[in-house]
Amino acid sequence: MLLTPYRVLDLTNQRGMLTGQILADLGADVIAIEPPGGSTARSVGPFAGDDPGTDRSLFWWAYARNKRGITCNLDHPDGQALVRQLAAGADFVLESEDPGVMAARGLGYDDLSAERDGLIYTSISAFGQSGPKAGYQATDLILMAAGGPLILSGGVGEAPVRVSVPQAWSHACGEAAIAAMVALRARSQIGRGQYIDISAQQSVAAATMSANLAASIGAAETARVAGGMAVGPFTGKLIWEVADGYISLTFLFGSGIGPFSQRLFNWMYDEGECSLEDRDLDWIGLGAEFISGARPLSDWARLMEVVGEFLRKRSRDELFAEAQSRSLLIVPVTTVDEVANSEQFEAREFWREHEMPGWPDPVRFPGPFVKLSDNEIEYRRRAPTIGEHNAEVYAELGLDDAALGDLRKRGVI
Amino acid sequence: MATLSNAPAIPTEGALAGLKVLDLMWVVAGPTATRAMADFGATVVRVESANRIETARGIGPYHNNGQGPDHSGLFSNMNINKLGLSLNLGTDEGRAVLLDLIKWCDVLTESFSPRAMRAWGMDYESLKQIKPELIMLSTCLFGQEGPLSRVAGFGTMGAAIGGYIALAGNPGGSPIGPYSAYTDYLSPRFALPTILAALDHRDRTGEGIYIDQAQAESSLHFMSTALLDYHVNGRVPQLVGNADPDMAPHGCFAASGDDDWVAIAVRGDGDWANLCSAMGMGELTCDDRFADIAARKANEDELNGIISTWTSEHGAIEIEYMLQAFGVPAHAVSNSSAAAQDPQMRHRGHFIAMEHPEHGTTTFESAKGQMTETPPSYRSVAPSIGRDNDLVLRDILGYDDEKIAELAIADALT
Repeated sequence: MLLTPYRVLDLTNQRGMLTGQILADLGADVIAIEPPGGSTARSVGPFAGDDPGTDRSLFWWAYARNKRGITCNLDHPDGQALVRQLAAGADFVLESEDPGVMAARGLGYDDLSAERDGLIYTSISAFGQSGPKAGYQATDLILMAAGGPLILSGGVGEAPVRVSVPQAWSHACGEAAIAAMVALRARSQIGRGQYIDISAQQSVAAATMSANLAASIGAAETARVAGGMAVGPFTGKLIWEVADGYISLTFLFGSGIGPFSQRLFNWMYDEGECSLEDRDLDWIGLGAEFISGARPLSDWARLMEVVGEFLRKRSRDELFAEAQSRSLLIVPVTTVDEVANSEQFEAREFWREHEMPGWPDPVRFPGPFVKLSDNEIEYRRRAPTIGEHNAEVYAELGLDDAALGDLRKRGVI
Repeated sequence: MATLSNAPAIPTEGALAGLKVLDLMWVVAGPTATRAMADFGATVVRVESANRIETARGIGPYHNNGQGPDHSGLFSNMNINKLGLSLNLGTDEGRAVLLDLIKWCDVLTESFSPRAMRAWGMDYESLKQIKPELIMLSTCLFGQEGPLSRVAGFGTMGAAIGGYIALAGNPGGSPIGPYSAYTDYLSPRFALPTILAALDHRDRTGEGIYIDQAQAESSLHFMSTALLDYHVNGRVPQLVGNADPDMAPHGCFAASGDDDWVAIAVRGDGDWANLCSAMGMGELTCDDRFADIAARKANEDELNGIISTWTSEHGAIEIEYMLQAFGVPAHAVSNSSAAAQDPQMRHRGHFIAMEHPEHGTTTFESAKGQMTETPPSYRSVAPSIGRDNDLVLRDILGYDDEKIAELAIADALT
């Protein structure tokens, strides 16, 4: 696998687990270190069978795959010594405590890089390691508010609304994986490791699609348009109600999208549901006609209504099938069950299964995030149980069963 | 904020200095990944054509509310630090230049529909014959195979068919979804680590690799728990507004200003007591209706009413400061103006100003990762179409005047 030579010490709590997951999927030897009672991630729901046991967290199942799991009490001096020893053999360290916590434990970048030349140490936090808000309390909703995506999503004049599956920390984890890999390449060039500071607030800003620049570049604020998008003076509607649910149709003019709109109106004309005049509009240059005033803006609202009328008479399946034969920008708005049963993902043999301890049936997981021509991503380990790999990992430090028994008794592992 | 000068050049410093990237991607998902490489010192040559204007050039926010292919703040933000080459791939001569660039680069990235590269004989199988160490990324909505692989699509559609639109909205209402092309923001987080891992592997083994990314598939890793909840427990998420199963109050509350909202999240009884103190309503902590999370969830409408009445009397930023002083998670729901003034974003240097030949100055976002040894550098604004043709054709490919003139005559450089 691509990252087989590298070892990662994953000290993250539930905020930072996706970073190690990405590196583990790419082949790195990722050792997840949990407190003796289990990671806080194990108490994040939902739970298998809605039973909140330590090996039942679907969050842990999802984001500890391909990692080996050991326990270590980071607040115990002997536990801290064990982590320093493990760091001596690691290429990457990942952590997601509040700023300052790891340094107070003697496990900050300065401490661990002293054990290992070239160590790449990545901290993931809500607002970054320093600054006026570094001590702020944060959750998913708070970060989506602070970073800019939240204000953009919701109905006109209504409260902004978030994605109900928490997203913010995953954005930060993705940026952490990118920066860690940039640092690996830097290490091969400059021969040194480094410290990386990731802010979730900054990371989620990517989900504004640059709307967060408006004030800085002299543009108007982007209006919140439920199921749509403001493009200059135009409101582009992206989500449309149809006979049996919703679809996404990208409907606009211009050289990129105009040809698709032309084909949509060709179809509508064939069905007798739009005028020849509307069909033969200049779908590439139409925007300029509106902007120059040659055509009133109200005509855009009328065209959207003509399209809406056409769509409301048709089903999602019919529209999607026709979209594929006519090359239209239409897909159904799918629910999670439809995603799980999609024939596309099935055809690409996307899903992977693991047997999970204490659960009767094989569990199906989202498969490899990319397909590779060689060195494919493998689902080689399910998420570990608490301390599952203590013996094999600590044996590398020369600790035998008796030594481990002693550490266990003293609450170190 | 100091304004940086604008000088397109081949970078010589940075974590990725010396790395050569040929970028045939467009809009958001692909260009985000190559911008990160450019920030850290890679030479990124981005190919465009004036014959088919890249969609992002038409998407706002627009510099000074203006119109034209160089006004898009989105395009600008996605393409800082890259070199712009205009190439007409409809001509044999244009494709010959492309082939020279493929021989030059370490990494080729493309986001055409799956048929396009094959039709030009530039699919991975063909290219690896001439360049076995090539690293190539193809990224599109559904990947290179499967019944839907030919569905053209933007990230807005990825968000719809990937399940994200149906995850945001108010109870009983229409799905609203996250803002715009949501899967475009997620897929670079998987593409880029893979490219960099492939480079590291190539340097050790000499082997190239082909990366087939279906953005819809990558993006499902941001909603793994919902997929597992369905598979294991048979549950399908409903539209719940901002409600959270484990937190109440939890939502966006109207503050006193115009379109002024504050997000508040109460994680447990400690936060609840602190919130009551901060609001000057200590008596609420003794109210049985809100005694614990189960009670607060059961009486959430009443609870939200009380909070809303209080928030409506204060500004969102004022509420944020008041509640955070009590350790309660809260933040104003920031728009672009608030973001630009946010003391934390300023401390982080999130927004960067640079001279711009047309707009005087432009502002873009910094690289996300802050790194102690190899910080990013910001050298040039996003290219106008064909801005760096000379630099690319002469300095990178070594073409002479005669050759460049021939290309121009053949309409290869439009």
